[in-house]
Amino acid sequence: MAGNKLFVRRRDARIEVRLNESGRAVAREAFGRVLVAERDPDHEWHAGLNAPIDPSSDTDDPVSTLSRQSDISTNAELAVMTLNEQFLNDGEAWAWLSTFQLALRSTAVANGLMSEEKLLSCDPDLLDFIRTLQQFLFSLAECL
Amino acid sequence: MRRMTTETGVATEKIVATERPWNVVVWDDPVTPMSVVVLIFKRIFGYSNNKCTQLMLTVHHQGRAIVWSGQRERAESYCVKLQVAGLQSTIELDD
Repeated sequence: MAGNKLFVRRRDARIEVRLNESGRAVAREAFGRVLVAERDPDHEWHAGLNAPIDPSSDTDDPVSTLSRQSDISTNAELAVMTLNEQFLNDGEAWAWLSTFQLALRSTAVANGLMSEEKLLSCDPDLLDFIRTLQQFLFSLAECL
Repeated sequence: MRRMTTETGVATEKIVATERPWNVVVWDDPVTPMSVVVLIFKRIFGYSNNKCTQLMLTVHHQGRAIVWSGQRERAESYCVKLQVAGLQSTIELDD
């Protein structure tokens, strides 16, 4: 079923992106929202991106939280910069996968979709967005 | 734990470390594909495919799994890497 794959590992080790325009539009939205949410404390995804590291402590080590903020932003920026590429190297593909996964989980957290029942009964457009991100992740994970 | 010995006639003191390890915990969620969890474990910890799959199944069936234990600083660093990759992760002091 190679024809249905959205990402394909080629013999030269590059990863081919086979998303059409609407697929790339979903990717653009996901990457862009992660980038904005990381910087905007009022964004609905911000809490999901800044979960506690040690819940038994009142505050987390600022060095760790700064490192997380920097790494999330770096991945999201790389994903945005390579959005229109036809081929990705491993580092770029990992940035795509991490940012897709952050977008997926942040969407679930922001909408309270933390059980299978709630997920299946959510707004159809939201469910479609989630299913699309999951498809991207399935296909990309097969290449990495 | 401190122990005193006087075998040589000179009092010496041995200090044995009794610190409890810190656990890195990964929590289940209903949206993350299983293959992505396995891939992230492999990438961050370098575990075998079998071990990563077993840990992923523990997360899926029990709601959480301890994926690494040891020194606090390293636990915190692994936890951040897991969070950057999009998994829900925390650290806790071992029971």
